Amino acid sequence: MKIVVIVRQTPDTEAKIAANSSGNGIDETGLKWILNPFDEFAVEEAVKIKESTGAEVVILGIGPDRALETIRTALAMGGDSAIHIKDENFGATDSYATAKLIASKIKAMGDVDLILAGKKWIDEESGQVAIQVAAELDIPQATIATKVDVDDAAKTVKVQSEIEGGQRIIELNFPALVTAERGLNEPRYASLPGIMKAKKKPLEEVTVDAINLEELGLAQENLGADGSRYKIDNIDIPVINRSLNVLKGGNSDMVESAEVQAAAENLTKLLREEAKII
Amino acid sequence: MSEIWVLVDTTADGKVRNVTYEVLTAAVKLKEKNSATVAAVFVGESAGAIEGDLGKYGADKVYKVEDSALKDFNPSAYASALSEAIKKHNPDIILGGNTLQNQDFLPRVSALTSGGLVLDAVDVDISSSSTLSIKRYRYSGKSISGITFHDVKPMIATIRPNTFKAVESAGAGEVIQETAQIPSQENIKVLETKLVPKDRPELTEADKIVSGGRGVASTENFELIFNIADSIGAGAGASRAAVDSGYVPYEMQVGQTGKVVAPNLYIAVGISGSVQHYAGMGSSKVIVAINKDPDAPIFQKCDYGICGDLFEVLPALTEEFKKLS
Repeated sequence: MKIVVIVRQTPDTEAKIAANSSGNGIDETGLKWILNPFDEFAVEEAVKIKESTGAEVVILGIGPDRALETIRTALAMGGDSAIHIKDENFGATDSYATAKLIASKIKAMGDVDLILAGKKWIDEESGQVAIQVAAELDIPQATIATKVDVDDAAKTVKVQSEIEGGQRIIELNFPALVTAERGLNEPRYASLPGIMKAKKKPLEEVTVDAINLEELGLAQENLGADGSRYKIDNIDIPVINRSLNVLKGGNSDMVESAEVQAAAENLTKLLREEAKII
Repeated sequence: MSEIWVLVDTTADGKVRNVTYEVLTAAVKLKEKNSATVAAVFVGESAGAIEGDLGKYGADKVYKVEDSALKDFNPSAYASALSEAIKKHNPDIILGGNTLQNQDFLPRVSALTSGGLVLDAVDVDISSSSTLSIKRYRYSGKSISGITFHDVKPMIATIRPNTFKAVESAGAGEVIQETAQIPSQENIKVLETKLVPKDRPELTEADKIVSGGRGVASTENFELIFNIADSIGAGAGASRAAVDSGYVPYEMQVGQTGKVVAPNLYIAVGISGSVQHYAGMGSSKVIVAINKDPDAPIFQKCDYGICGDLFEVLPALTEEFKKLS
């Protein structure tokens, strides 16, 4: 079987975010980039399936030149080969145009059984691209998977996921798309030999011009900020403005045992009378 | 006349979820600016008589897209049914709660209808030319963006639960029955749906939440969190540190890689208050911190706090909360 894992590069979770000078994007100066944390679960699951079934794992990354580093990380975790769809406008291109680009490349591969992706991109705070890839390929999807069981012979995958108020298990026929939730597995670290080997694994680079845009129902002007179905007008960095009314002890920072009852009464009163919240 | 649609979310026993009323309230606010019609749209096996309740919150119309093939939620079938109704009636705007179900099937709807979709809005507005603009967090709550739809129809957005307070507003609730042509679904089968009866409100919709962190120190000690949560009818959550330490399951995690919540009251117990945790609860109205470390970052991000030992503070506070009711 053949598995494609869609990977995305995101700013490090610890990164400080600031607006750029035009005010509609972020300042990338000095930013550290990582493999989107939810995509790590997808890569790990693909490698686990490879270990049990001998599947081939293709890493598919989309983004500017810098995204190559992330693609190599996924290869070092155990991917066999990679495709890098290079779009320097990436980030400004809207999700559906992005999904069309990814789907067209997967369609061209022809024999893909399973597509894995993270449940969301933590920078965009959205998981819509992977689902739109499934829609574009007209294949079934199961999102936010916490358990994935592949039956290579029957060409099906069983997926457990959380739903409002409970859980469910659905079974999809290949080809299918599954998005990974935290808890699905414990992603491995890329080993040093793995990182060395990754540099030698086959890598296909596709520039966006090379994909036949017209066939996709897209024109060059559908890409980038001008072609997007929505525009980012501004980015603000929220200021935390809270009242910081912290009750402390009489003699030290910590409320001592004898003062606990008074502190509890005091807090309850504040929540009731000042905040009017309980 | 142009229509604003509001997707109806129901519970397993067929009741309309509160988030639907919140989104209806947002739709009524938009309607006041461009005099559109507000229509609630149900997609599923059978709606039941929900039009009365929906009308109370401003639904002028109630579309019922019903079919036995929509018994179990399946994103392909639901997307196909809703997209067909959209193509027939051409609404300008479609709003829904940012629920798991809507996040799962609306991206397919946007693909099928060539609409634009933005998820998890914390504010919505409309221009004189009826263009929808929204505000949403990006980069893990570290930035908030103003986003305007651009030359696209329908404009689809989900709204974070607890963002708008549901306000009643009279609507006719006129029922319009729709039929759905659902393509056969042989490549997707729902094998099992297990509803777990919950003792407490769902985190994403809870009005109050009490969360425990690493400081709670064990699974057994989480009883203290559950007890104080129950004393005020709150949901119970946890920080990533508590989940990673194995005290409680992942479903309870609040934060960047967990759930995003926006209750009126969020009580963080034994949680240091990392950027990642704040990303999941920073839009709560009132934040209370209980922590013994005076230097914990949470004390710079809260409205009220007690710097003290949670094992002493929680029992006392629980007793005080119980006296309120």
